[in-house]
Amino acid sequence: MDIRLAGVTKVFEPDIVALEDIYLSIDKGEFVYLVGTTGSGKTTLLRLISREYLPTRGQITVGDVNLRKIGRGRLPFYRRDVGVVFQDYKLLPNLTVFENVAFVLEAMGIPPRVVQNRANEVIDQVGLWRRRFLKPPQLSGGEQQRVAIARAMANSPSIFLADEPTGNLDLRTSEEIMRLLLSINAAGTTVLVATHDQYLVDAYRQRLVELHNGRLKRDERRGRYFIDGEL
Amino acid sequence: MASFKYALRDTFRLICRHWGLSILTLITAASVLYILGFTALFALNVRHMVSQIEGGLVVQVYMKKGEKPDDVYGKVKTNPTVTSIRAISPEEALDRLRAKLGNQARAVTLMGENPLPWSLEIQVQRAEHITPLVRDLVVFPSVEEVIYSGKLVERLSTISRASAGVSATILVLAVIISALVIFNTIRIAIYSRKEEIEVMLLIGATKTYISLPFVFQGMFLGAGGALLAVAGLWATYASAVNAVRSTLAFLDIIVNQQILLQFFLLLFATGATMGWMCSWLAVSRFTSRALRPR
Ligand SMILES: Nc1ncnc2c1ncn2[C@@H]1O[C@H](COP(=O)(O)OP(=O)(O)OP(=O)(O)O)[C@@H](O)[C@H]1O
Ligand SMILES: [Mg+2]
Repeated sequence: MDIRLAGVTKVFEPDIVALEDIYLSIDKGEFVYLVGTTGSGKTTLLRLISREYLPTRGQITVGDVNLRKIGRGRLPFYRRDVGVVFQDYKLLPNLTVFENVAFVLEAMGIPPRVVQNRANEVIDQVGLWRRRFLKPPQLSGGEQQRVAIARAMANSPSIFLADEPTGNLDLRTSEEIMRLLLSINAAGTTVLVATHDQYLVDAYRQRLVELHNGRLKRDERRGRYFIDGEL
Repeated sequence: MASFKYALRDTFRLICRHWGLSILTLITAASVLYILGFTALFALNVRHMVSQIEGGLVVQVYMKKGEKPDDVYGKVKTNPTVTSIRAISPEEALDRLRAKLGNQARAVTLMGENPLPWSLEIQVQRAEHITPLVRDLVVFPSVEEVIYSGKLVERLSTISRASAGVSATILVLAVIISALVIFNTIRIAIYSRKEEIEVMLLIGATKTYISLPFVFQGMFLGAGGALLAVAGLWATYASAVNAVRSTLAFLDIIVNQQILLQFFLLLFATGATMGWMCSWLAVSRFTSRALRPR
């Protein structure tokens, strides 16, 4: 699904302007970095797309859905199509890795056998097969990050939003996660990654959108990077 | 179907996770419903006894000598509280008297003519209907005398009204108390899973899916409490029936199985419905707030 922002402004009470007059258009299947200094509005932009927030002014459409008009009843079904990796992971500490992934699928009413297969599949994909019965507090930061990614990709969403998926991780782990995100994108999913990581942005060249104090400062379409010679 | 299974599993987990609180809630709901059931049964029995006595409640109206009861009859007939009226002619009254007195009856007719007046026998539905009826009757100039069991009637209707009032008050109190207790327990359960629910809403779980385990838990507590109360009432009532039969045999206690069964079913349904409504209220308040966009 494509994402269109037209004149989007977000003001937090009383007068914090987090985003101002943003026009942005992301096509289906694109991979976009969202960069900018801390407080520039990256998380706010992602939360607008997942409809945690409503814009103060302007319109956001995703596919053919106007997010301002989406009803309470339809919101859950919209969100199922948008996988989010939260900046603070939001893993449930008293559930195992497997359960953290499985409960998303259960909430969609998927039968237990299918849930089990799919959860195991994505856990294997993020390389946590041998950790699947551990709980988040027993995992390293990078492993927790990967659980969050596995959970977001479990129900194969059309849009994947990742908020600083490599924050606080070493270079090697960051690269692993980048490759994971690129492989998700390679399967046709639109991916939007908010990041501070200049190295990754340069190493894996993709479209780059930069925010500065809530305004759009730069929108560069650069050469697409494909993993491992895939094209 | 799968959702239903997950919901049942989560209900079970919720109850186990807060088993102490669950048991406490169950006991509270059970005792409150027990008290409610007990008073209701008491009131039912009082009503039953009163109506039993009321079956024999008759107002007798004696006309003045030579007066016909037609206009009184017409007036009473339009009164909706009256269940039956019978006009008794002097001849019929004499026959009755003869039957009652046997040989001595001859004394009555010694004077040659029948000395008895026309009279009416009126039956009403309830004891409290008698006083207004009597007030209506005495204004007729043709009426000589109205005889009824005045004091008894008034006392009966006071008792009946008081017991209905007390049981209604207890009903309201019981419903409020158990509703609050269940509501609060569910709220604690919701807050213990606050994070989980918020994440679930973010990843696209529906309100119904999230509410189901809590609603089931509420219904379990309400219905379970009612079941315990019914079991307790059953035992108490059975022993009460035995005690009354052996000591106060003249009291007419309800032993009709069907009435009791209906009553217990009603109590059970009350508990379950209350649990359902309270938990639904608690959980939907929470999810609505969490889903509101900022
Ligand atoms: N819920 C909120 N209420 C009030 N102000 C907010 C809220 N969310 C964000 N802001 C403000 O909006 C601005 C942008 O915040 P945002 O989280 O989008 O920044 P960011 O680019 O994600 O920063 P970082 O790189 O540190 O994560 C900040 O000044 C922040 O204080
Ligand atoms: Mg942020």
